Amino acid sequence: MTDPKDRITEAEAIEQAKQGHEAAFEVLYQLHKRRVYSLCLRMVSNPAQAEDLAQEAFLQLFRKIGTFRGESAFSTWLHRMTVNVVLMQLRKKGLPVVSLEETLEADDEAPRKEFGTKDVKLTGSIDRLQLQRAIDKLPPGYRTVFVLHDVEGFEHNEIAQMVGCSIGNSKSQLHKARLKLRDYLKFMRAEKAKTG
Amino acid sequence: MTCSEVQRVLPELLDDVPEGAFPTAFADYAFADDAFADHVKSCPVCSDLVSDLKLIASEARQLAASDEPAPRVWVQIAAQLRHEGIIHEPEQVRRPVLVPSGARRSGWSTWWLAPIAACLVVAGAYVISHKPAQQMAMQNQPAAVTAPPAAATAVTPSPNVSATPSAKSTLPKTVVPHPPAQKSVPSPEGVESAAKADIDPEPSADDRQFLSVVSTRAPSLRATYESQLQTVNADIREVQLYLARNPSDADARQELMDAYQKKALLYQIALDRIQ
Repeated sequence: MTDPKDRITEAEAIEQAKQGHEAAFEVLYQLHKRRVYSLCLRMVSNPAQAEDLAQEAFLQLFRKIGTFRGESAFSTWLHRMTVNVVLMQLRKKGLPVVSLEETLEADDEAPRKEFGTKDVKLTGSIDRLQLQRAIDKLPPGYRTVFVLHDVEGFEHNEIAQMVGCSIGNSKSQLHKARLKLRDYLKFMRAEKAKTG
Repeated sequence: MTCSEVQRVLPELLDDVPEGAFPTAFADYAFADDAFADHVKSCPVCSDLVSDLKLIASEARQLAASDEPAPRVWVQIAAQLRHEGIIHEPEQVRRPVLVPSGARRSGWSTWWLAPIAACLVVAGAYVISHKPAQQMAMQNQPAAVTAPPAAATAVTPSPNVSATPSAKSTLPKTVVPHPPAQKSVPSPEGVESAAKADIDPEPSADDRQFLSVVSTRAPSLRATYESQLQTVNADIREVQLYLARNPSDADARQELMDAYQKKALLYQIALDRIQ
């Protein structure tokens, strides 16, 4: 059983990490590893790559921990650093971080009635695994904005700053991502209904 | 408002639409845009669309922090931080935890115990067969296979391994490898060379010698120790074979170290028991 005297708060762990205590670093890692790794995984859809990116994000954080002054929440700082690490990786690979489209095209966005899917309702509940698979299928640009906004909770002004686009573009990318996900999920449900 | 017009403004207005299924939430909500609200409430296609998109957005939030990285990620982070000198544990620090202590591993700095444990096993078996029982009882102290992780000094082998003046002349001068410097990242070569040297499905000469001594001094225990030795040897072989293909797998190296420690412990327990 852990001695109560050994339990520390995140703030204490940060101070001890600044002095180079390994255990303090590990405390911070354990606290935030799921959020960091999940973010990386959602954005690159590859577990091995996500682990490498998570590792790099934590390394960058720990190298700079001496500069953390507490002006923002530690998790916010780590979160942004993780996003920057992932985006840099996507840019290195030449993958589009976000599409260059600025406006919606009206005919793309009119409600469609899909053949064979009109009787399959999406409302009610969504299978998490199906949603993960659908996100993995999104084009990288759509996936980035969707993950940052709907999964991770960033606002459009923050996303626009991070990925280097306008707020309007961020909103349109998000909308397109959601529409695509809706199509994928309806298709998956229809397929599942057929096979029983 | 038409469906097309709803689609055009949806990216701006969707996140203002409240949670919950139509018509309850929509019926009571004061939309910023009345035309939009009126159309969505009355058009089944658009209301389904809005509901679906809201559902996707709300379900997506459940995915945050839903996955966990492999343990090797922390091992590699810690190793790199030590390598860069960012981690420098003071000597008498009380290790704070925010997680159960069982979740913490001993980390990189004990990996070199694997070849040392192997040498201890070899040396221990040699001593068992060559020293009188009395000398063994006095000198055969438990091997330092559980040296503390932060130890930067070489592990001292059990006294009967070093060249004791009173020892029989047949005692070998066993060279015990020294661990690498504390801050350097250990290379996999040490473990891999020890692994390759030991990969052999047949019991080693030391194991046969060990069992021979057990048979002589405590025949009733031979079957037990033989079985336990087979199990631990099988574990060692399995990890060695894996490590030969994946030398940089830190978890596997930790496993190999654990297996060598088990074998050394098995020898020690047997020695203590058959004296």
